[in-house]
Amino acid sequence: MIGGRRPLQGRKPGDKRLRVERPHAPYFRYTGKGQLTAKEAASVPTTPGARLIARIRAIVLGRPLHQEAELGERLSKAKALAIFSSDAISSSAYATEEIILAFILGGAALAALGWSLPVAIAIAGLLAIVAFSYRQVCLAYPNGGGSYSVSKANFGRHASLVAASALLIDYNLTAAVSTSSAVEQIVSAFPALGDVRVLIGVGALALITLANLRGVREAGNIFAVPTYLFMFSAFAMIAIGAYRIVVLGEQHGPPPEVVAATAETAGATSVFLLLRAFASGAVALTGTEAIATGVPAFKPPESRNAATTLVVMAGVLAILFVGITFLATNFAIYPTVPELFGEVQHKTVIAQVAETVFGDSLLFYLFQAFTALLLFLAANTSFAAFPRLAAVLGEDGFFPRQFSLRGDRLAFSMGILLLGLIAASLVIIAGGRTHALIPLYAVGVFIDFTISQGGMIRHWLRTRERGWRYRLAINAVGCAATAVVAVVVTTVKFLDGAWFVVVLIPILVSMMLFIRREYDDQERELHVREDLVVEGPHREQRVVIPVNGVNRAVIQAVNFGRTMSRDVRAVFVTEDPEQGEAVRERWERQVPGVPLVIVESPYRAVISPVLAYLDVLDQAWPPDKEAPITIVVLPEYVARHWWERLLYNQTAKRLKAAILGREHTIIADVPYRREK
Amino acid sequence: MPEIDTEPFHRAVVALNGGPSDARIVRLVASLAARTKAELIAVHVVEIDWTLPLDADIAGRSEEVQRVLDSAEAIAEGVKVKMEPVLLQARDVAAAIVDEATERGADLLVVGLPYRKRFGGEFAIGRTIPYILQNAPCSVWVVREPMSEEPS
Repeated sequence: MIGGRRPLQGRKPGDKRLRVERPHAPYFRYTGKGQLTAKEAASVPTTPGARLIARIRAIVLGRPLHQEAELGERLSKAKALAIFSSDAISSSAYATEEIILAFILGGAALAALGWSLPVAIAIAGLLAIVAFSYRQVCLAYPNGGGSYSVSKANFGRHASLVAASALLIDYNLTAAVSTSSAVEQIVSAFPALGDVRVLIGVGALALITLANLRGVREAGNIFAVPTYLFMFSAFAMIAIGAYRIVVLGEQHGPPPEVVAATAETAGATSVFLLLRAFASGAVALTGTEAIATGVPAFKPPESRNAATTLVVMAGVLAILFVGITFLATNFAIYPTVPELFGEVQHKTVIAQVAETVFGDSLLFYLFQAFTALLLFLAANTSFAAFPRLAAVLGEDGFFPRQFSLRGDRLAFSMGILLLGLIAASLVIIAGGRTHALIPLYAVGVFIDFTISQGGMIRHWLRTRERGWRYRLAINAVGCAATAVVAVVVTTVKFLDGAWFVVVLIPILVSMMLFIRREYDDQERELHVREDLVVEGPHREQRVVIPVNGVNRAVIQAVNFGRTMSRDVRAVFVTEDPEQGEAVRERWERQVPGVPLVIVESPYRAVISPVLAYLDVLDQAWPPDKEAPITIVVLPEYVARHWWERLLYNQTAKRLKAAILGREHTIIADVPYRREK
Repeated sequence: MPEIDTEPFHRAVVALNGGPSDARIVRLVASLAARTKAELIAVHVVEIDWTLPLDADIAGRSEEVQRVLDSAEAIAEGVKVKMEPVLLQARDVAAAIVDEATERGADLLVVGLPYRKRFGGEFAIGRTIPYILQNAPCSVWVVREPMSEEPS
């Protein structure tokens, strides 16, 4: 009888039918010959504790998603501009401030008014070079030309790992810098929040981490809105400000504090100071490469659309950056740093520019909100890019493999968590101040640019496609320019923190090479020759069963051991010879055919005598024969409650830990389940 | 999917024969059920001839038989419709389908019909469908496969 059911009677006397039970159905589905696919129920944990954890995870992170739920939505140019350029465009929120700060900290605050704009224009020129170079990457690598893949294709392992390390550092800093700057924008509008800025930053990162663990769709409209809100409001601000300056002739003098503070050093502008200002402002270029990495996400023709979007993005960024700098210098705006203004609440340059243009009106608060929103969005882009790069590195064997596994919600959970932790630590260490993180930031970015452009030079030399000379020239200019800037940024910011990145990159590269070597070793070790046909086992086996007397658990283990070998022996370790004799007498009577070895242990040790006995067995084996496999069978009593685990199997656990990893030795647990 | 103006059904039994028409009728019924939140029951009957006892362990052991219901369930799940799979062993397929539909109180029975010709070129409808059309207490939809080639 199938499933223990009786046949069901039909309408007519002869019509009988039988429902056949399908025990696999709740958990699996047959999807092909000899192929089962697990259903959600098969992934549900079975123990109450694990079920509770799973329920909490489902509430916090959402229900696990099916593999097929991953969708590859293609982006239009307008949407892609918003989604990929939030990182780049958001840097206009702090780049101007960094230039002015470089002058202030160099003791030439007054010079900032005259020199910041030329420096910003020079940086915009560099941006143009970088953008045109990356345009070529979009066209040459339609599958996405991150600097890791470009350098891997053209330079090989080491250069690509340097690029990858620089990128990894970069993504962490993007998350930390953008979050810090976003919080600074909020504090500039609401100074009362100044004391809890670190808390807000860490809280925001925690929320972004959580949202990404839940698996946010980057392509959602919600991510396109803040970029456009910021872009248009910033354009409006620049237009109004420029009108007031150029047409109405409005001009502000430096605040008296600045004049007083810099009276002695007024006008002291050195080449070094200009280079420092340039290096500081160069953070504006961060994020330029994002579009080149995301080419496959564009609607076809992917490459051409991405290339166009990249140029538009660079144009927008240049206008915003130069425009904001123009307003800031003409309105004589200085960041409220202690060096000039004493201990006052920090107010960012962009906030002051907005306040000057919009006044203390709702528009000002809206603008600050848009800026903060865009900066948080920029931080969020790292949460997509970092885990993806870590996953690629994991697949290539340079990162632990867990990084390339997708979590319940199809997101690369490990990478997201790691980024969240590092970025939050950076925010805490820097005290929530953007400026403290900037010296670390630009170094990695320019190293990346240089390697990527260098890779493109190799690409053109190798492929020699139509028009390769012209294309090579563009990338060569880009490579040279970014290389010079990389050296400048590293040198002038070395003591401020750039040294850390310079030290960290080789450490990361060595770490990744080490991981790869480990995986390679493992693969070599486990490799099975293609032409090998596996025959039956040929090594002899023997079974050793540590026992604690004669009981049901032991009998079950002995019976199991007997199925695997004829060479079965039990070992009883005791400190009391009389007890040993009693056990032997009973054993020989009740378990004939299985020799019992009594090991007297006057020093009361239990584990070591068993190990020593295994060693002795090995040594007694004839040296000309292949070593046998020793199977240590451990009778184990299954605990029904968590507290029972404390009472039973402690010796077995210690023994297991001691034997684990021993050569030619296998541990077999034979669980004994209590019947009642 | 074209709009089909029809009386809504609440519980439909979909009879599967393990052929290529299964996917078509499941997709059709599931997409209609998705709108009305109707209940779907997929029935696959394995005919046991008189040489074997009715409770012979045949259907439960066959992966192929299980796959008929599993694929149907997967298609229904794809349009977010729950479908209860029922596997039967019976002496007569048609009677088992009608009896199951009757017992379940179904208001619709859907069957697929492969396009086959008898020797000599005449269209063959088989035994099952006429029996169902004659005996099913509820509405019956017969979905015929398209002809594989143009009739001469």
